[in-house]
Amino acid sequence: MDRTPIIEMKGIVKVYPDGTKALKGVDLTVNEGEILGLLGENGAGKTTLMKILFGMLHPTSGKIFIRGKEVHFKSPSDAIAHGIGMVHQHFTLVEVFDALHNIILGMEGHGLFSKIDIEKAKEKLQKLMDELNFQVPLEIPVENLPVGVQQRVEILKMLYRDVDVIILDEPTAVLTPMEVEELFRVLRQLKAEGKTIIFISHKLNEVMELTDRVTVIRKGEVIGTVNTSEATPQLLARMMVGRDVVLRIEKPPREPGEPILRVENLKVMGDRGEIAVNGLSFDVRAGEIFGIAGVEGNGQTELIEAISGLRKVEEGKIYLQGKDITGRGPKELYELGMAHIPEDRTHMGLILDMTVTENSILGLHWRPDFQRLKGVINWSRAREHAKSLIEQFDITAPGTETPVKSLSGGNQQKLIVAREVSKEPIFIIAAQPTRGVDVASTEYIRNYLVKLRNEGKAVLLVSADLDEVIQLSDRMGVIYEGEFMGIVKPEEVNTEEIGMMMGGIRYEEIRK
Amino acid sequence: MKRSGSELLKAINLRPFVESLIAVLVGFIIGAIVLLAFGYNPWSAYYWLFQGALGSTYGIASTLRYATPIMLTALTFAIGTRTGIFNIGAESSFYFGAIAAVIFTNIWDNMWFGLVMGMLFGALWALPAAVLKVYRGVHEVISTIMLNWIGWFFVLWLIVGPYANPNDPNKTLRIPVNARLPIIGYGLSIAIIIAIIAALLTYFLLWHTTMGFGMRASGINQKAARYAGMNPKMAVMWSFLIGGLLSGLGGAMKIMGEGPGYAISQGGANIYGFGFDGIGVALVGRNHPLGIILSAIFFGMLRAGTALMQAQAHVPLEIIKVIQGIIVITVAIPSLYDLVKKAIHRGAA
Repeated sequence: MDRTPIIEMKGIVKVYPDGTKALKGVDLTVNEGEILGLLGENGAGKTTLMKILFGMLHPTSGKIFIRGKEVHFKSPSDAIAHGIGMVHQHFTLVEVFDALHNIILGMEGHGLFSKIDIEKAKEKLQKLMDELNFQVPLEIPVENLPVGVQQRVEILKMLYRDVDVIILDEPTAVLTPMEVEELFRVLRQLKAEGKTIIFISHKLNEVMELTDRVTVIRKGEVIGTVNTSEATPQLLARMMVGRDVVLRIEKPPREPGEPILRVENLKVMGDRGEIAVNGLSFDVRAGEIFGIAGVEGNGQTELIEAISGLRKVEEGKIYLQGKDITGRGPKELYELGMAHIPEDRTHMGLILDMTVTENSILGLHWRPDFQRLKGVINWSRAREHAKSLIEQFDITAPGTETPVKSLSGGNQQKLIVAREVSKEPIFIIAAQPTRGVDVASTEYIRNYLVKLRNEGKAVLLVSADLDEVIQLSDRMGVIYEGEFMGIVKPEEVNTEEIGMMMGGIRYEEIRK
Repeated sequence: MKRSGSELLKAINLRPFVESLIAVLVGFIIGAIVLLAFGYNPWSAYYWLFQGALGSTYGIASTLRYATPIMLTALTFAIGTRTGIFNIGAESSFYFGAIAAVIFTNIWDNMWFGLVMGMLFGALWALPAAVLKVYRGVHEVISTIMLNWIGWFFVLWLIVGPYANPNDPNKTLRIPVNARLPIIGYGLSIAIIIAIIAALLTYFLLWHTTMGFGMRASGINQKAARYAGMNPKMAVMWSFLIGGLLSGLGGAMKIMGEGPGYAISQGGANIYGFGFDGIGVALVGRNHPLGIILSAIFFGMLRAGTALMQAQAHVPLEIIKVIQGIIVITVAIPSLYDLVKKAIHRGAA
């Protein structure tokens, strides 16, 4: 392999205005034509480092060399001019434009009356796509393209700008397993064409599968760089979190009890008036984790919202401990013993601008414990409550009166879990409970869900992380277009069978 | 009591207070430059301003008298902002509070009756905008601007028409003597005390009650509020109604508490503009009821000092208004500073 460094970053320090040291003197070398994995937990500084390389942030100190020459980037356009492109975790596409216009956006000529030469651009793009064996439909509005294809548009946007190095920030976070495969194929193809790729991730398997070398970052420092062929997932996990992570969850066998939640023939509409949940029936029993696996967007969100009282039920019934709860609002459901860890942490689970204390009683604030008189909140009690949640769940927070937006993603999620558990529920919905959460918090939250199960609570787990569902669930339903393709015990099926169900093949047909 | 006092202090973040104070100082400095540019002596102008506003018992009384109505309309705006709506309907709720006070005290000359009817009609006039917002999604800026105009002409008609004073047809009927607010002294009525109590109650409502918690939560994030079992629609509804009620109270007290006329004067001159001034007061007070008490008094000072500033330092009224405007604009500087800071350290996530 070619061993010439294309990028060298030396002694990069980044101190944010609030005094946070995001990077504490990072050295990074990227060789030409390789796929370098940048591995680290959330908040380790991976994205900050790459934003510095891409000119979006300016380092407090440190130097960047490209092909041996020192550079100073004022903005991303400087970086692009030096052949470095970045694909962000959240896409920067104009949704109503087609791929072609998105790609040439910003390169259409800057004179007031300069004409956009669409045909020439299209020709160039087609040539590029043919060369790289990398196709995207150019004339469909990108909002109508699947997420995986949108991502390819982003990559193509960078390639169109003649970059040699492409930085991908957690590119698989939004993709289905099949799309991930396709992305990896494309990235390998690009590598074969001589491009250099920096792949930011916190997923061990992906890094193991794709990269040539891995640099591990922890708390703003480089822990080490290893050749992937010489690494093991255990080694990388240890480097990433600084201790051995129990990647397997201890789950003692347990006989489930009575059904706590029962869903009968449930039909729910999606936002666009389509049928999102199509006649689902299942139950979740005491002392059981019932998992729902499936590619995102197959009705999981609508199902959870219907059960938790946030979305209208078109047909069917929902029972909690034998009581009909169809059509009841969240407040009533919480009083009946439901708790809900929502999938959208920042927009639903928390009010980011409010303090830890305020968020810690969200949804419990009318309980007599938190009232002086009826309707008057007892803030000193609430503060004590927040303190006890912080202590119990080992949440890192500067204080109870700071806005939750200043907490890291993992700690925000822990706060939600802590609060929901403090409702002392008999039934708990955990939707994407560990999405975007660092390894340590993930482990903590998963173990906590098992603990709840062991205590005899009914847990409904919905997750896009298949491993999570398989590891935690006692039973699992695989959802496809609002229907279960099968309800199975995870140990009775293999991954391939689950994959087929996720792809829309019924379990009976697979077993035939 | 000691305990709740310290809690009160904890709940108040002092940073916005300091920022507003700095903004006010900057406003004074820029104002001084303006004064200099037009050939006035800023020292003497500001001396007479403060002399007029605070230099005598009468000055202080005038300051507080001017502070009263804008304190209440500022609360209307603030309670709206805190629940996520840009409610500029304080202006017309104020008119309705004033006219309701005139009408109903002339039916029963009881002060409390007048105040309650003022509040009720202020709230009623906020209802259409609330209903349109909650059930039809009509933007409150559009609806409240239109309702302000409808309210204005309707009240003008009431002033010159059915409720005109037969002896002085340019004005309305007077508030009967028995229904007037007691005077503390130097023309200052107990209206100021009622206004401060209203501000304290608003603070208590927003920060210490379940309902206020729901209102603030809805104001920041409706989805999360709904998830938490709150009712964002009702929160918006209450925000409009309580807002209207406060401005209605302001309008009623403006007429019931200020002599010598105790009537709405020709062309509604003594009830016009308080709702709009309230927006500035609310901004300087950072949309916080306690901040609004201070900022309303500050605005009252500027108004009360005007007379001596004109008479002794010979600064025309227009320049004084310019200075007031500059101060409102400088209050935007802290948030502008935040924006610039963000632009410098881009993507500080």
